Amino acid sequence: MSEILKVAQLSKSFPGVKALSKVNLSLRGGEVQALLGENGAGKSTLIKILTGVYQTEDGQVLLDGEPVSFDSPLAATKSGIGVVHQERNLIPYFTVAENIVLQNQPQRRGLIDAAQRRETAQKALDSLGLTIDPDEIVQNLSVAQMQLVEIAKALATETRVLLLDEPTASISGSEAKKLFEVVATLKAQGTAILFVSHKLEEVFEVCDTVTVLRDGESVIESSPLSDYSHSQIVAAMVGRQLAERTKRFRTVEPGEPALELKELTTQVGHTDVSLALQAGEVLGLYGLVGAGRSELLRSVLGLHPIVSGEVFVKGKAANIRDMRDALHKYRIGYVTENRKEEGLFLDFSINRNIAVTVWRRLQQILGIIRHEKETEVSDRFVERLGIRISSVMQLAGNLSGGNQQKVSLAKWLAAETEIIIIDEPTVGIDVRTKANFHELIMDLADEGMAVLLISSDLPEMVAIADRVMVMRDYQFVGEFPNSKDYAEMSTKVMDAIHAGSARQSA
Amino acid sequence: MVNNDQRLSSRLAYLATDQRMILAVLVIAVFIAFAIRTPAFLSGQFVIFPLIRDTAVITIVGLAQLVTLSIGHLNLAVGRMAAVSAMVAGFSYERLGFAILPGLILGVLAGAFVGMITGYIIVKSRVNAFIVTLAMDFALLGLVTFTYRSLTEAAAFTAKPAGMDVVRAGSLGDVCVFGWCGPSVVPLIIFPALALVGLMSFLYYRTRLGRELLATGANLRAARLSGIPVDTRVIQAHTLSGALAGIAGIFLAYVNGSFSAAIGSELLLPSFLGPVLAGTLLSGGVVGVFGTMLGTLLTLVIRQGLLVQGIGLETLNIALGVILLLALSANKIRTSITGLFQRKVA
Amino acid sequence: MKYLKKRVRTTEFSLTVLFIAGFIALASTSGGVLFSDQSIRSFLTYLAIPILIGLAQMVVLAVGQLNLAVGAMGGASAAVMAQMMVALNSPIWVALLAGFLAATLMGALNGVLVVVTGLNGFIITLGTLTILEGVQYALVRSFTIDGYPDAVKDFGKIVYFNVPSVFVVAIITAVILSWFFRTHVMARKILATGANPLAARLSGVSNPLSVFLAHTLSGALLGIAAIVTITSLGGINRSIGGDWLLSSFAAPIIAGVLMSGGVVAVYGTVMAAGVIRLVDIARAQYSLDPSVINFTIGTVVLSTVALSEWRRRRSETKRQKHVEVDSE
Repeated sequence: MSEILKVAQLSKSFPGVKALSKVNLSLRGGEVQALLGENGAGKSTLIKILTGVYQTEDGQVLLDGEPVSFDSPLAATKSGIGVVHQERNLIPYFTVAENIVLQNQPQRRGLIDAAQRRETAQKALDSLGLTIDPDEIVQNLSVAQMQLVEIAKALATETRVLLLDEPTASISGSEAKKLFEVVATLKAQGTAILFVSHKLEEVFEVCDTVTVLRDGESVIESSPLSDYSHSQIVAAMVGRQLAERTKRFRTVEPGEPALELKELTTQVGHTDVSLALQAGEVLGLYGLVGAGRSELLRSVLGLHPIVSGEVFVKGKAANIRDMRDALHKYRIGYVTENRKEEGLFLDFSINRNIAVTVWRRLQQILGIIRHEKETEVSDRFVERLGIRISSVMQLAGNLSGGNQQKVSLAKWLAAETEIIIIDEPTVGIDVRTKANFHELIMDLADEGMAVLLISSDLPEMVAIADRVMVMRDYQFVGEFPNSKDYAEMSTKVMDAIHAGSARQSA
Repeated sequence: MVNNDQRLSSRLAYLATDQRMILAVLVIAVFIAFAIRTPAFLSGQFVIFPLIRDTAVITIVGLAQLVTLSIGHLNLAVGRMAAVSAMVAGFSYERLGFAILPGLILGVLAGAFVGMITGYIIVKSRVNAFIVTLAMDFALLGLVTFTYRSLTEAAAFTAKPAGMDVVRAGSLGDVCVFGWCGPSVVPLIIFPALALVGLMSFLYYRTRLGRELLATGANLRAARLSGIPVDTRVIQAHTLSGALAGIAGIFLAYVNGSFSAAIGSELLLPSFLGPVLAGTLLSGGVVGVFGTMLGTLLTLVIRQGLLVQGIGLETLNIALGVILLLALSANKIRTSITGLFQRKVA
Repeated sequence: MKYLKKRVRTTEFSLTVLFIAGFIALASTSGGVLFSDQSIRSFLTYLAIPILIGLAQMVVLAVGQLNLAVGAMGGASAAVMAQMMVALNSPIWVALLAGFLAATLMGALNGVLVVVTGLNGFIITLGTLTILEGVQYALVRSFTIDGYPDAVKDFGKIVYFNVPSVFVVAIITAVILSWFFRTHVMARKILATGANPLAARLSGVSNPLSVFLAHTLSGALLGIAAIVTITSLGGINRSIGGDWLLSSFAAPIIAGVLMSGGVVAVYGTVMAAGVIRLVDIARAQYSLDPSVINFTIGTVVLSTVALSEWRRRRSETKRQKHVEVDSE
């Protein structure tokens, strides 16, 4: 069938980061194309441009050969690009039918034409082979059913290009199967489908072609999926031109683990997970997005309930109810994944952001905190981490991503934590600052800090971790000492992930 | 980049002090304008004294609201909390024969207690603060009216403990050193108010508690993940708000001469005017403490000026409502502008 | 129909039962007095305003906002009507229309301010409330304006089969409003905005327009309430509307209207207003202190809200399992 959507040499940058660089993509009617890429690869930016959230900067998006530019999500929808997001976008108190026709409610002189509405909705549902009752209130449906309703809704607005963003993020098994059936039906009807997912087995099951993004570039452009094996795809996603860096080898003193998890079962999906982290060690937790690594550590920090199992800090059983306990009782720090929402106070000065964890320590009689003492602390760590600013009184929100991340780390260093959990530290950060950050992490380990690094960036992992544990679907599927040889490590890690997946689909 | 930042941060610093400068200038300008228009405005006894006295009381109410605003919450029950405290103080004076200070302390503790319960409900039920304080407002209204009606004949406690007159009508003119007395237009009640302004200023700019309150208001999640005991801070903020409202309520009763259920019924709008004019954000994280007093002073100067002109209550209300809306819009515009500046600099 | 509608229906059902049972209970303990024609007439007359102001608040709640100025809007509007007839000798219909339009305009002003400043209706209506109280006072001062034509007051006395005209007005308004929310496209858009503004926007609904219309509609309903006020009460003074706020909230919230928006319950609001009225009568009958009523209603409202909030969070956490949001 003919080409419907084309992306040509699309580029987009944000302050400090080039999110997309000359990306190409071609999508035909009746084709299901996978859009793959790790964190920071540019997938999300591309999707936002296609759905009208961002505007094109350089390069073009073409529909049926005509260049288009959407100034709003609605404009994109009206042009025939439908999207089903990760989060549900339905009106929970309305019926299925009303949600399906929401954008274009059949009316007669301002009054809803209920009969026509039902008919339109039923038609959309029927064409997808769905048995959902159009008069059912959406709130009563399962998440999977809601998703299918959103697809029916896209159909009702004459979508020609349907973008499915991580459609199986919150469904599985038979529900996912139903979804794939619907996708097949749409494909047969000539709809062009862009399937964004990081679950490779599904991608191979459902998709015809594939585009892989890496570091903002399209390394595989709309090629037939059959031309590639799993590992080739993964290699394309994570492999990078590794700059010749002097590998830094480290030795870790054996001893009592600084942090140990014994058969931890959490309410968010982990079962009997164990790990041990030594002082002076950098332990990497690798996994693709959705593996459950952040959730595991957040459970340890008291943010999600732990059902069973034990946590030990420096050999003693630990009861960590919240971040306060973690910091003040057990000297554990947590550099969060999303620094803007959880890691920093954007409207506060750098000074405040760094000192926030030590106010408790700095306070004198009556809780007084002397400004000089605060600046003393923050100056020290600004220098230590090489944060390039004119003064600590600058607002954190004005810094570049790399500097913001350093501030986010600085506050834990200021608090003299002994164990630090760092979650996806270099996403969206330029290469040079990344390398800088890596050196920093290893320096901290040299000084005796126990570092737990969560990252989906394999080269990063191989560069700095002493040991790598691989997580998949909320379980550990492999553990290897890091030889620092990228080829060897990536094979081992990928095999572990796929062995896990083979187990999964068996 | 260094130069940009320098200019930007000094510009932002300028904006911060700007608000207080603007308010101070406005106060003086409006004052002079009214004085020229109506010389009677300068009457010490009938205009200036009540002006400063009312500023004292309303500023304290403003501080009560400021504390809740600092964590990003609203306290819709400030008026009733003031009433509860006044009621308890009045009760202790009339029925328990307390002296003025113990009665005051008891009343303030009552206000703090109510605030604490409010904060506790907010934390435990996770219901929106303004719904909780809104419901608390109605509940307290019922409680206060009921108590007054069952315990008194005239729906008020009329006992006047020794010293109350001093608070109500005392001025610097009564303070004489070596035969030289202070100006009688300055009511003594302004001093506790100034002390509280100083205390709050000290709290927010110099202590750990103040910083943690502002952090809680600025970004709740980041605050929690930085080890700040946010739940405790929320309860503390509401408790403090209740205590401050209580002080204001009791002072108001001293000024009025009796403790009745009507106290606090007109405090909600004024409680917002001061802080909002000072640049306090409704979303939390930014407060203007000294500006609250200036903002309150400004609105009261306008009120007194209009009253002296013979312009009635209605125009005043209209003026105050318009001022609130303008101040809110101005705040919004200002944060959008500074937001724009922030996005520009990498 | 289904879940939420079922829950509202269950609430509707229990409120109806509560109302009937309460009425009968009060009537029998008062020795049958409540069943008399006059009592029923009086009951229904004084039910008309709470119904209308409950609906006025409901419409704003539907879009996720609050209207603190309900009393001031009604009071100022009534004052406009009264003075037009008394001071300006306007014909009745002109005055009533002017007052109605004034109230609608006040609502529109609220809507515009909310949209333009991006702030919540609460703080905006706090400002407009103050302004309108001033306007109301400016119009009536300390007097009670009652010199308007008898025809106006007579309307308030008309009775159809023992049902007062003002009550009929309120019921007809409720019926039209219910019909509006069920069948009119604009009303569905308002509900969409209240339920999920993001989803609504992505489907082409203009959220600012929804908010504006909700506030304007609220004003219009308050205009009708003002008309009912002027026909059923003896005169208009500065305290009209002063006690409207609590009942304007209590009725819709007890009826299951969520403060987060997206839900309307016209029948429930009417029934809840009726139940609250019964509580008032019980208070008078048993000589309870009115402040106790306020306290109870406040507590009931808070509990209702807390309960629905708790339910909402519980269903949210259930959905949260295994959902990880891609960070890039």
